Amino acid sequence: MKIAFLSESPADEAVLRVLVEGALKEKPTVASAGYRARGWPNVLQVLPAVIRHLHFNTDVDTLVVTGDSDDSPVHTEAHDAPQYYHPHCRMCQLRATFRQTSKRFPAAHGRLRVRRVVGVAVPALEAWLLCGVEDSVNEAAWVEGQARGILPYTRAELKLRVYRTERPSLPHEIACAVREAERHRRDLRRLEYDFPGFAALLRDLREPIPKIS
Amino acid sequence: MIASVAFRNFKALRNTSLRLSPFNLVIGANGSGKTSLIQALQQLRALAKLPLGDPAAVTRVGGSEISFAFDAPHLGVTARLGCVDDVVCDLLQVDSVNRAEWEDVKAGLATMRSYVFDHVAMAAPAPRASGARLAGDGSNLAAVLARWQRETPAAFDRLQTELTRWLPEFTGIVLPEDAGGLVRLGLKIGDAEGPVMADNLSQGVFYVLGILVLSFDPAPPAVVCIEEIDRGIHPRMLREVRDALYRLSYPAAMGETRAPVQVIATTHSPYLLDLFREHPEEIVITQKHGHESRFERLADRADLAELLREGSLGDMWFSGILGGVPEES
Repeated sequence: MKIAFLSESPADEAVLRVLVEGALKEKPTVASAGYRARGWPNVLQVLPAVIRHLHFNTDVDTLVVTGDSDDSPVHTEAHDAPQYYHPHCRMCQLRATFRQTSKRFPAAHGRLRVRRVVGVAVPALEAWLLCGVEDSVNEAAWVEGQARGILPYTRAELKLRVYRTERPSLPHEIACAVREAERHRRDLRRLEYDFPGFAALLRDLREPIPKIS
Repeated sequence: MIASVAFRNFKALRNTSLRLSPFNLVIGANGSGKTSLIQALQQLRALAKLPLGDPAAVTRVGGSEISFAFDAPHLGVTARLGCVDDVVCDLLQVDSVNRAEWEDVKAGLATMRSYVFDHVAMAAPAPRASGARLAGDGSNLAAVLARWQRETPAAFDRLQTELTRWLPEFTGIVLPEDAGGLVRLGLKIGDAEGPVMADNLSQGVFYVLGILVLSFDPAPPAVVCIEEIDRGIHPRMLREVRDALYRLSYPAAMGETRAPVQVIATTHSPYLLDLFREHPEEIVITQKHGHESRFERLADRADLAELLREGSLGDMWFSGILGGVPEES
Protein backbone atom coordinates (compact mmCIF):
# COMPACT_ATOMS: atom_id res chain seq x y z
CA MET A 1 0.00 0.00 0.00
CA LYS A 2 1.28 3.43 -0.90
CA ILE A 3 -0.39 6.36 0.80
CA ALA A 4 -0.45 10.08 0.23
CA PHE A 5 -1.79 12.63 2.67
CA LEU A 6 -3.47 15.95 1.97
CA SER A 7 -3.60 18.01 5.11
CA GLU A 8 -3.65 21.57 6.32
CA SER A 9 -0.35 21.53 8.19
CA PRO A 10 2.70 19.38 8.95
CA ALA A 11 1.22 18.77 12.42
CA ASP A 12 -2.03 17.45 10.95
CA GLU A 13 -0.08 15.19 8.63
CA ALA A 14 2.02 13.85 11.51
CA VAL A 15 -1.16 12.97 13.42
CA LEU A 16 -2.76 11.30 10.40
CA ARG A 17 0.34 9.21 9.81
CA VAL A 18 0.22 7.88 13.37
CA LEU A 19 -3.51 7.18 13.29
CA VAL A 20 -3.39 5.49 9.88
CA GLU A 21 -0.46 3.33 11.00
CA GLY A 22 -2.45 2.43 14.10
CA ALA A 23 -5.42 1.42 11.99
CA LEU A 24 -3.36 -0.60 9.52
CA LYS A 25 -1.15 -2.15 12.24
CA GLU A 26 1.74 -1.63 9.91
CA LYS A 27 3.82 1.19 8.50
CA PRO A 28 2.63 1.95 4.98
CA THR A 29 4.82 3.42 2.28
CA VAL A 30 4.12 7.14 2.24
CA ALA A 31 4.44 9.29 -0.88
CA SER A 32 7.44 11.50 -0.30
CA ALA A 33 5.79 14.84 -0.86
CA GLY A 34 3.26 15.85 1.76
CA TYR A 35 0.45 17.56 -0.08
CA ARG A 36 -0.72 20.63 1.71
CA ALA A 37 -3.77 22.89 1.59
CA ARG A 38 -4.08 26.28 3.23
CA GLY A 39 -7.15 25.59 5.31
CA TRP A 40 -10.73 25.20 4.18
CA PRO A 41 -11.94 25.81 1.42
CA ASN A 42 -8.46 25.48 -0.09
CA VAL A 43 -8.62 21.73 0.65
CA LEU A 44 -11.54 21.48 -1.76
CA GLN A 45 -9.81 23.73 -4.29
CA VAL A 46 -6.61 21.68 -4.52
CA LEU A 47 -8.13 18.23 -4.01
CA PRO A 48 -9.13 17.60 -7.66
CA ALA A 49 -5.62 18.45 -8.85
CA VAL A 50 -4.03 16.24 -6.19
CA ILE A 51 -6.30 13.31 -7.12
CA ARG A 52 -5.54 13.77 -10.81
CA HIS A 53 -1.81 14.01 -10.17
CA LEU A 54 -1.73 10.94 -7.95
CA HIS A 55 -3.84 8.92 -10.37
CA PHE A 56 -1.88 9.59 -13.53
CA ASN A 57 1.62 10.43 -12.32
CA THR A 58 2.23 8.17 -9.34
CA ASP A 59 1.66 4.63 -8.07
CA VAL A 60 -0.02 5.91 -4.90
CA ASP A 61 -3.15 3.85 -4.26
CA THR A 62 -4.63 5.68 -1.25
CA LEU A 63 -5.18 9.36 -0.56
CA VAL A 64 -5.99 10.33 3.03
CA VAL A 65 -7.68 13.71 3.36
CA THR A 66 -9.02 15.38 6.45
CA GLY A 67 -10.48 18.75 7.18
CA ASP A 68 -11.82 20.53 10.23
CA SER A 69 -15.59 20.99 10.34
CA ASP A 70 -15.23 24.44 11.97
CA ASP A 71 -18.77 25.83 12.13
CA SER A 72 -20.15 23.80 9.23
CA PRO A 73 -22.96 21.23 9.61
CA VAL A 74 -21.68 17.93 10.96
CA HIS A 75 -22.03 14.83 8.80
CA THR A 76 -24.80 12.49 9.96
CA GLU A 77 -26.02 9.04 8.95
CA ALA A 78 -28.79 10.71 6.98
CA HIS A 79 -26.16 12.19 4.66
CA ASP A 80 -25.05 8.65 3.78
CA ALA A 81 -28.35 7.86 2.05
CA PRO A 82 -27.97 7.05 -1.66
CA GLN A 83 -27.94 10.17 -3.86
CA TYR A 84 -27.97 12.44 -0.79
CA TYR A 85 -25.60 15.37 -0.73
CA HIS A 86 -25.55 18.09 1.89
CA PRO A 87 -24.12 21.18 0.22
CA HIS A 88 -22.53 22.53 3.40
CA CYS A 89 -21.33 19.28 4.99
CA ARG A 90 -17.59 19.00 4.50
CA MET A 91 -17.62 15.21 4.47
CA CYS A 92 -20.21 15.27 1.68
CA GLN A 93 -18.16 17.89 -0.17
CA LEU A 94 -14.93 15.89 0.06
CA ARG A 95 -16.58 12.66 -1.02
CA ALA A 96 -18.34 14.38 -3.92
CA THR A 97 -15.07 15.94 -5.05
CA PHE A 98 -13.41 12.52 -5.11
CA ARG A 99 -16.37 11.04 -6.99
CA GLN A 100 -16.63 13.78 -9.57
CA THR A 101 -12.91 14.04 -10.17
CA SER A 102 -12.27 10.32 -10.61
CA LYS A 103 -15.38 9.17 -12.42
CA ARG A 104 -14.05 9.60 -15.95
CA PHE A 105 -10.46 8.61 -15.29
CA PRO A 106 -9.21 5.56 -17.19
CA ALA A 107 -7.41 2.95 -15.09
CA ALA A 108 -3.78 3.74 -14.50
CA HIS A 109 -0.82 2.22 -12.66
CA GLY A 110 -2.71 -1.01 -11.97
CA ARG A 111 -5.68 0.52 -10.18
CA LEU A 112 -9.04 1.85 -11.26
CA ARG A 113 -8.73 4.88 -9.11
CA VAL A 114 -6.94 6.19 -6.05
CA ARG A 115 -8.75 4.95 -2.95
CA ARG A 116 -10.54 7.69 -1.06
CA VAL A 117 -9.95 7.91 2.68
CA VAL A 118 -11.75 10.93 4.12
CA GLY A 119 -12.30 12.14 7.65
CA VAL A 120 -13.61 15.34 9.17
CA ALA A 121 -12.51 16.45 12.62
CA VAL A 122 -15.35 18.09 14.57
CA PRO A 123 -14.78 20.92 15.11
CA ALA A 124 -10.97 20.67 14.70
CA LEU A 125 -8.23 18.08 14.81
CA GLU A 126 -7.38 19.08 18.37
CA ALA A 127 -10.69 17.54 19.49
CA TRP A 128 -9.41 14.14 18.33
CA LEU A 129 -6.24 14.77 20.28
CA LEU A 130 -8.21 15.45 23.48
CA CYS A 131 -10.37 12.35 23.07
CA GLY A 132 -9.99 10.15 26.15
CA VAL A 133 -8.38 12.98 28.08
CA GLU A 134 -11.40 15.22 28.36
CA ASP A 135 -14.67 13.30 28.40
CA SER A 136 -16.65 16.40 27.50
CA VAL A 137 -14.88 16.69 24.16
CA ASN A 138 -16.65 14.59 21.56
CA GLU A 139 -18.61 15.00 18.37
CA ALA A 140 -22.01 14.47 20.01
CA ALA A 141 -21.33 17.29 22.48
CA TRP A 142 -20.48 19.62 19.61
CA VAL A 143 -23.57 18.64 17.59
CA GLU A 144 -25.77 19.15 20.63
CA GLY A 145 -24.14 22.51 21.24
CA GLN A 146 -24.76 23.54 17.64
CA ALA A 147 -28.43 22.58 18.01
CA ARG A 148 -28.79 24.56 21.24
CA GLY A 149 -26.82 27.50 19.93
CA ILE A 150 -24.36 27.22 22.82
CA LEU A 151 -21.15 25.54 21.79
CA PRO A 152 -19.43 23.50 24.51
CA TYR A 153 -15.99 24.84 23.62
CA THR A 154 -14.27 26.91 20.98
CA ARG A 155 -11.57 25.77 18.59
CA ALA A 156 -9.18 28.20 20.26
CA GLU A 157 -9.89 26.57 23.63
CA LEU A 158 -9.20 23.13 22.23
CA LYS A 159 -5.89 24.31 20.82
CA LEU A 160 -4.95 25.90 24.12
CA ARG A 161 -5.74 22.67 25.99
CA VAL A 162 -3.58 20.60 23.65
CA TYR A 163 -0.64 22.97 23.19
CA ARG A 164 -0.86 24.92 26.48
CA THR A 165 -0.25 28.15 24.59
CA GLU A 166 -2.16 30.23 22.05
CA ARG A 167 0.90 30.48 19.85
CA PRO A 168 2.69 27.13 19.67
CA SER A 169 5.79 26.86 17.56
CA LEU A 170 5.50 24.28 14.80
CA PRO A 171 7.88 21.78 16.49
CA HIS A 172 5.97 22.14 19.76
CA GLU A 173 2.65 21.71 17.97
CA ILE A 174 3.88 18.59 16.19
CA ALA A 175 5.35 17.14 19.40
CA CYS A 176 2.12 17.67 21.37
CA ALA A 177 -0.07 16.41 18.54
CA VAL A 178 1.99 13.29 17.92
CA ARG A 179 2.13 12.53 21.64
CA GLU A 180 -1.67 12.51 21.80
CA ALA A 181 -1.99 10.57 18.54
CA GLU A 182 0.42 7.95 19.88
CA ARG A 183 -1.93 7.54 22.85
CA HIS A 184 -4.64 6.50 20.39
CA ARG A 185 -2.48 4.38 18.12
CA ARG A 186 -2.77 1.06 19.93
CA ASP A 187 -6.52 1.27 20.46
CA LEU A 188 -8.53 3.52 18.20
CA ARG A 189 -11.93 2.38 19.44
CA ARG A 190 -12.60 5.33 21.74
CA LEU A 191 -11.69 7.81 19.01
CA GLU A 192 -13.84 5.87 16.55
CA TYR A 193 -16.78 5.84 18.95
CA ASP A 194 -16.59 9.47 20.08
CA PHE A 195 -15.85 10.92 16.66
CA PRO A 196 -17.91 9.53 13.76
CA GLY A 197 -15.88 11.81 11.50
CA PHE A 198 -12.87 9.65 12.35
CA ALA A 199 -14.90 6.42 12.16
CA ALA A 200 -15.72 7.34 8.56
CA LEU A 201 -12.02 7.63 7.82
CA LEU A 202 -11.42 4.16 9.27
CA ARG A 203 -14.27 2.68 7.21
CA ASP A 204 -12.74 4.11 4.05
CA LEU A 205 -9.38 2.69 5.04
CA ARG A 206 -10.91 -0.80 5.38
CA GLU A 207 -12.33 -0.69 1.86
CA PRO A 208 -10.29 -2.59 -0.70
CA ILE A 209 -8.09 -0.68 -3.11
CA PRO A 210 -10.01 -0.50 -6.41
CA LYS A 211 -7.60 -2.53 -8.55
CA ILE A 212 -7.98 -3.74 -12.12
CA SER A 213 -9.41 -7.26 -11.93
CA MET B 1 6.48 49.49 24.48
CA ILE B 2 4.70 51.80 21.98
CA ALA B 3 0.95 51.79 22.61
CA SER B 4 -0.22 53.91 19.70
CA VAL B 5 0.79 56.24 16.90
CA ALA B 6 -1.37 59.03 15.51
CA PHE B 7 -0.58 60.83 12.25
CA ARG B 8 -1.70 64.19 10.99
CA ASN B 9 -0.68 65.27 7.51
CA PHE B 10 2.36 62.99 7.34
CA LYS B 11 2.82 61.81 3.74
CA ALA B 12 -0.31 59.81 2.82
CA LEU B 13 -1.27 59.45 6.48
CA ARG B 14 -3.38 62.58 6.71
CA ASN B 15 -5.49 61.80 9.76
CA THR B 16 -5.23 58.32 11.19
CA SER B 17 -4.09 56.48 14.28
CA LEU B 18 -3.05 52.97 15.14
CA ARG B 19 -3.06 51.02 18.40
CA LEU B 20 0.02 48.84 18.41
CA SER B 21 0.05 45.30 19.82
CA PRO B 22 3.02 43.20 20.88
CA PHE B 23 2.95 41.80 17.33
CA ASN B 24 1.73 43.74 14.30
CA LEU B 25 1.61 42.51 10.72
CA VAL B 26 0.90 45.42 8.40
CA ILE B 27 -0.57 44.72 4.97
CA GLY B 28 -1.72 47.04 2.24
CA ALA B 29 -1.11 48.33 -1.25
CA ASN B 30 2.24 49.75 -2.30
CA GLY B 31 2.59 53.36 -1.20
CA SER B 32 -0.21 53.08 1.33
CA GLY B 33 1.82 54.03 4.41
CA LYS B 34 3.35 50.81 5.72
CA THR B 35 6.88 52.12 5.38
CA SER B 36 5.81 55.56 6.62
CA LEU B 37 4.75 53.96 9.88
CA ILE B 38 8.19 52.43 10.30
CA GLN B 39 9.89 55.68 9.27
CA ALA B 40 7.96 57.52 11.95
CA LEU B 41 9.19 55.08 14.58
CA GLN B 42 12.75 55.40 13.30
CA GLN B 43 12.49 59.16 13.49
CA LEU B 44 11.20 58.98 17.05
CA ARG B 45 14.19 56.82 17.95
CA ALA B 46 16.62 59.20 16.26
CA LEU B 47 15.19 62.35 17.85
CA ALA B 48 14.84 60.74 21.29
CA LYS B 49 18.65 60.62 21.46
CA LEU B 50 18.87 64.40 21.11
CA PRO B 51 17.99 67.13 23.57
CA LEU B 52 14.24 67.77 23.54
CA GLY B 53 12.93 70.48 21.28
CA ASP B 54 11.26 73.67 22.32
CA PRO B 55 7.56 72.83 22.86
CA ALA B 56 6.61 76.08 21.20
CA ALA B 57 8.57 75.07 18.13
CA VAL B 58 6.49 71.95 17.68
CA THR B 59 3.23 73.78 17.83
CA ARG B 60 4.61 76.64 15.74
CA VAL B 61 5.12 74.35 12.80
CA GLY B 62 1.46 73.42 12.74
CA GLY B 63 0.15 71.10 10.07
CA SER B 64 2.08 67.84 10.19
CA GLU B 65 2.45 65.96 13.43
CA ILE B 66 3.00 62.42 14.68
CA SER B 67 2.04 61.53 18.26
CA PHE B 68 3.10 58.48 20.26
CA ALA B 69 1.71 56.98 23.44
CA PHE B 70 3.41 54.23 25.41
CA ASP B 71 2.38 51.08 27.23
CA ALA B 72 2.47 50.57 30.99
CA PRO B 73 4.43 51.43 33.02
CA HIS B 74 4.87 54.53 30.85
CA LEU B 75 1.26 55.55 30.41
CA GLY B 76 2.12 59.05 31.54
CA VAL B 77 4.45 59.71 28.61
CA THR B 78 3.42 61.09 25.24
CA ALA B 79 5.77 62.16 22.48
CA ARG B 80 5.00 64.40 19.52
CA LEU B 81 7.03 64.80 16.38
CA GLY B 82 6.57 68.15 14.73
CA CYS B 83 7.26 68.43 11.04
CA VAL B 84 8.63 71.27 8.99
CA ASP B 85 6.62 70.00 6.05
CA ASP B 86 4.55 66.88 5.42
CA VAL B 87 7.67 64.72 5.08
CA VAL B 88 10.41 66.02 7.36
CA CYS B 89 9.71 65.74 11.06
CA ASP B 90 12.63 66.91 13.15
CA LEU B 91 11.20 68.34 16.33
CA LEU B 92 10.34 66.21 19.32
CA GLN B 93 8.21 67.30 22.23
CA VAL B 94 7.63 65.02 25.21
CA ASP B 95 4.97 65.28 27.87
CA SER B 96 5.94 63.19 30.85
CA VAL B 97 4.81 63.01 34.44
CA ASN B 98 8.45 62.86 35.45
CA ARG B 99 11.79 62.92 33.72
CA ALA B 100 12.79 59.41 34.88
CA GLU B 101 9.81 57.97 33.05
CA TRP B 102 10.87 59.58 29.78
CA GLU B 103 14.46 58.44 30.34
CA ASP B 104 13.15 54.89 30.68
CA VAL B 105 11.18 55.16 27.42
CA LYS B 106 14.20 56.71 25.74
CA ALA B 107 16.39 53.79 26.77
CA GLY B 108 13.93 51.38 25.18
CA LEU B 109 13.63 53.46 22.01
CA ALA B 110 17.42 53.58 21.70
CA THR B 111 17.44 49.81 21.20
CA MET B 112 14.78 49.90 18.46
CA ARG B 113 15.90 48.44 15.14
CA SER B 114 14.49 48.50 11.61
CA TYR B 115 15.37 46.00 8.93
CA VAL B 116 15.10 45.79 5.17
CA PHE B 117 17.33 42.84 4.39
CA ASP B 118 19.56 43.05 1.34
CA HIS B 119 20.90 39.65 0.31
CA VAL B 120 23.77 41.17 -1.68
CA ALA B 121 24.98 43.13 1.34
CA MET B 122 24.43 40.11 3.59
CA ALA B 123 26.65 37.94 1.41
CA ALA B 124 29.58 40.33 1.66
CA PRO B 125 32.47 39.67 4.07
CA ALA B 126 32.14 41.82 7.20
CA PRO B 127 34.79 43.32 9.50
CA ARG B 128 35.10 41.23 12.64
CA ALA B 129 34.62 44.26 14.87
CA SER B 130 31.29 45.18 13.29
CA GLY B 131 29.27 42.33 14.81
CA ALA B 132 27.71 43.97 17.85
CA ARG B 133 24.26 44.38 16.32
CA LEU B 134 22.78 43.30 12.99
CA ALA B 135 22.79 46.25 10.61
CA GLY B 136 19.53 47.44 9.05
CA ASP B 137 20.31 45.76 5.74
CA GLY B 138 21.95 42.73 7.39
CA SER B 139 25.29 43.67 5.86
CA ASN B 140 27.31 42.56 8.89
CA LEU B 141 25.59 39.18 9.16
CA ALA B 142 28.83 37.19 9.10
CA ALA B 143 30.40 39.35 11.81
CA VAL B 144 27.33 39.08 14.05
CA LEU B 145 27.32 35.30 13.76
CA ALA B 146 31.06 35.14 14.42
CA ARG B 147 30.63 37.27 17.52
CA TRP B 148 27.82 35.05 18.77
CA GLN B 149 29.96 32.00 18.15
CA ARG B 150 32.73 33.53 20.30
CA GLU B 151 30.75 35.27 22.99
CA THR B 152 27.29 33.70 23.23
CA PRO B 153 27.78 30.16 21.92
CA ALA B 154 24.46 28.97 23.34
CA ALA B 155 22.57 31.50 21.20
CA PHE B 156 24.72 30.59 18.20
CA ASP B 157 23.98 26.89 18.70
CA ARG B 158 20.25 27.51 18.97
CA LEU B 159 20.29 29.56 15.79
CA GLN B 160 22.31 26.91 13.98
CA THR B 161 19.96 24.15 15.14
CA GLU B 162 16.95 26.13 13.97
CA LEU B 163 18.61 26.92 10.64
CA THR B 164 19.25 23.23 9.97
CA ARG B 165 15.64 22.46 10.90
CA TRP B 166 14.34 25.08 8.46
CA LEU B 167 16.81 24.15 5.74
CA PRO B 168 17.75 20.52 6.37
CA GLU B 169 20.13 20.38 3.41
CA PHE B 170 22.56 22.39 5.54
CA THR B 171 24.37 20.93 8.54
CA GLY B 172 26.09 23.94 10.05
CA ILE B 173 27.56 27.41 9.73
CA VAL B 174 31.21 28.20 9.04
CA LEU B 175 32.72 31.66 9.57
CA PRO B 176 36.31 31.77 8.37
CA GLU B 177 38.20 35.01 9.02
CA ASP B 178 40.95 36.29 6.76
CA ALA B 179 44.15 38.02 7.79
CA GLY B 180 42.53 41.42 7.37
CA GLY B 181 39.88 40.64 9.96
CA LEU B 182 37.06 40.10 7.45
CA VAL B 183 34.62 37.33 8.34
CA ARG B 184 32.99 35.35 5.57
CA LEU B 185 29.86 33.23 5.86
CA GLY B 186 29.47 29.69 4.62
CA LEU B 187 27.12 26.79 5.20
CA LYS B 188 28.09 23.14 5.43
CA ILE B 189 26.17 20.68 3.30
CA GLY B 190 25.87 17.04 4.40
CA ASP B 191 28.92 15.06 3.39
CA ALA B 192 30.21 17.63 0.93
CA GLU B 193 33.92 18.32 1.25
CA GLY B 194 33.79 22.05 1.68
CA PRO B 195 31.11 24.52 2.73
CA VAL B 196 29.03 26.57 0.32
CA MET B 197 30.32 30.09 0.75
CA ALA B 198 28.06 33.14 0.81
CA ASP B 199 28.44 34.12 -2.83
CA ASN B 200 26.94 30.77 -3.83
CA LEU B 201 24.08 30.70 -1.35
CA SER B 202 20.58 31.54 -2.49
CA GLN B 203 18.88 34.80 -1.68
CA GLY B 204 16.31 33.18 0.61
CA VAL B 205 19.00 31.62 2.79
CA PHE B 206 20.22 35.10 3.77
CA TYR B 207 16.72 36.26 4.61
CA VAL B 208 16.20 33.15 6.73
CA LEU B 209 19.47 33.80 8.53
CA GLY B 210 18.50 37.43 9.10
CA ILE B 211 15.19 36.43 10.65
CA LEU B 212 16.88 33.83 12.83
CA VAL B 213 19.45 36.35 14.07
CA LEU B 214 16.59 38.61 15.16
CA SER B 215 14.67 35.73 16.70
CA PHE B 216 17.54 34.30 18.75
CA ASP B 217 19.26 37.58 19.63
CA PRO B 218 20.54 37.12 23.20
CA ALA B 219 20.05 40.85 23.85
CA PRO B 220 17.07 41.81 21.69
CA PRO B 221 15.84 45.38 21.20
CA ALA B 222 12.58 46.64 22.66
CA VAL B 223 11.06 47.16 19.20
CA VAL B 224 11.86 45.51 15.87
CA CYS B 225 10.49 46.69 12.54
CA ILE B 226 10.95 44.41 9.54
CA GLU B 227 9.90 45.14 6.01
CA GLU B 228 8.72 42.43 3.59
CA ILE B 229 9.23 39.65 6.09
CA ASP B 230 8.17 36.98 3.59
CA ARG B 231 10.60 38.06 0.87
CA GLY B 232 12.48 35.23 -0.81
CA ILE B 233 11.03 32.57 1.47
CA HIS B 234 9.02 29.58 0.29
CA PRO B 235 5.33 29.83 1.27
CA ARG B 236 5.51 26.55 3.17
CA MET B 237 8.22 28.04 5.40
CA LEU B 238 6.16 31.05 6.38
CA ARG B 239 4.86 29.21 9.43
CA GLU B 240 8.45 29.08 10.65
CA VAL B 241 8.83 32.79 9.92
CA ARG B 242 5.72 33.54 11.92
CA ASP B 243 6.96 31.38 14.80
CA ALA B 244 10.33 33.15 14.76
CA LEU B 245 8.59 36.51 15.10
CA TYR B 246 6.28 35.18 17.80
CA ARG B 247 9.41 34.08 19.66
CA LEU B 248 10.22 37.78 19.90
CA SER B 249 6.77 39.07 20.81
CA TYR B 250 5.51 36.21 22.94
CA PRO B 251 8.64 34.70 24.48
CA ALA B 252 6.73 32.87 27.21
CA ALA B 253 4.77 30.93 24.56
CA MET B 254 8.09 29.64 23.23
CA GLY B 255 9.54 28.79 26.62
CA GLU B 256 11.70 31.93 26.76
CA THR B 257 12.08 33.98 29.92
CA ARG B 258 13.20 37.36 28.50
CA ALA B 259 11.09 40.48 28.02
CA PRO B 260 8.80 40.63 24.97
CA VAL B 261 9.95 42.49 21.87
CA GLN B 262 7.37 44.56 20.03
CA VAL B 263 7.33 43.55 16.37
CA ILE B 264 6.04 45.58 13.47
CA ALA B 265 6.39 43.64 10.23
CA THR B 266 5.10 44.29 6.73
CA THR B 267 4.19 41.78 4.06
CA HIS B 268 2.56 41.40 0.67
CA SER B 269 2.06 37.66 1.08
CA PRO B 270 -1.50 36.30 1.27
CA TYR B 271 0.06 33.02 2.40
CA LEU B 272 1.59 34.67 5.44
CA LEU B 273 -1.68 36.41 6.18
CA ASP B 274 -3.44 33.03 6.18
CA LEU B 275 -1.44 32.08 9.25
CA PHE B 276 -3.10 34.79 11.33
CA ARG B 277 -6.64 33.50 11.07
CA GLU B 278 -6.70 32.80 14.79
CA HIS B 279 -5.17 36.16 15.68
CA PRO B 280 -6.78 38.79 13.44
CA GLU B 281 -6.09 41.33 16.16
CA GLU B 282 -2.47 41.24 15.01
CA ILE B 283 -3.27 42.37 11.47
CA VAL B 284 -3.22 46.02 10.45
CA ILE B 285 -4.54 47.01 7.02
CA THR B 286 -3.49 50.26 5.42
CA GLN B 287 -6.45 51.51 3.43
CA LYS B 288 -5.53 53.92 0.66
CA HIS B 289 -8.11 56.10 -1.02
CA GLY B 290 -6.68 58.56 -3.51
CA HIS B 291 -3.78 60.32 -1.83
CA GLU B 292 -4.87 59.50 1.70
CA SER B 293 -4.30 56.37 3.78
CA ARG B 294 -5.58 55.21 7.12
CA PHE B 295 -4.95 52.21 9.36
CA GLU B 296 -7.52 49.60 10.25
CA ARG B 297 -7.22 46.66 12.62
CA LEU B 298 -8.64 43.56 10.95
CA ALA B 299 -10.19 42.52 14.27
CA ASP B 300 -12.26 45.73 14.28
CA ARG B 301 -14.34 44.52 11.34
CA ALA B 302 -17.83 43.76 12.58
CA ASP B 303 -18.37 40.98 10.03
CA LEU B 304 -15.02 39.26 10.54
CA ALA B 305 -16.42 36.06 12.08
CA GLU B 306 -18.80 35.62 9.15
CA LEU B 307 -16.03 36.34 6.64
CA LEU B 308 -13.71 33.79 8.22
CA ARG B 309 -16.34 31.10 7.67
CA GLU B 310 -16.19 31.75 3.94
CA GLY B 311 -12.51 31.41 3.16
CA SER B 312 -8.92 32.18 3.93
CA LEU B 313 -7.70 35.61 4.98
CA GLY B 314 -5.18 35.66 2.15
CA ASP B 315 -7.80 35.00 -0.50
CA MET B 316 -10.11 37.58 1.01
CA TRP B 317 -7.35 40.17 1.04
CA PHE B 318 -6.46 39.46 -2.58
CA SER B 319 -10.14 39.63 -3.58
CA GLY B 320 -10.43 43.12 -2.12
CA ILE B 321 -12.98 42.24 0.55
CA LEU B 322 -10.60 43.32 3.29
CA GLY B 323 -9.36 46.37 1.42
CA GLY B 324 -5.64 47.07 1.40
CA VAL B 325 -5.37 46.47 -2.35
CA PRO B 326 -4.03 48.73 -5.12
CA GLU B 327 -6.48 51.13 -6.66
CA GLU B 328 -7.27 50.55 -10.31
CA SER B 329 -7.73 53.27 -12.84
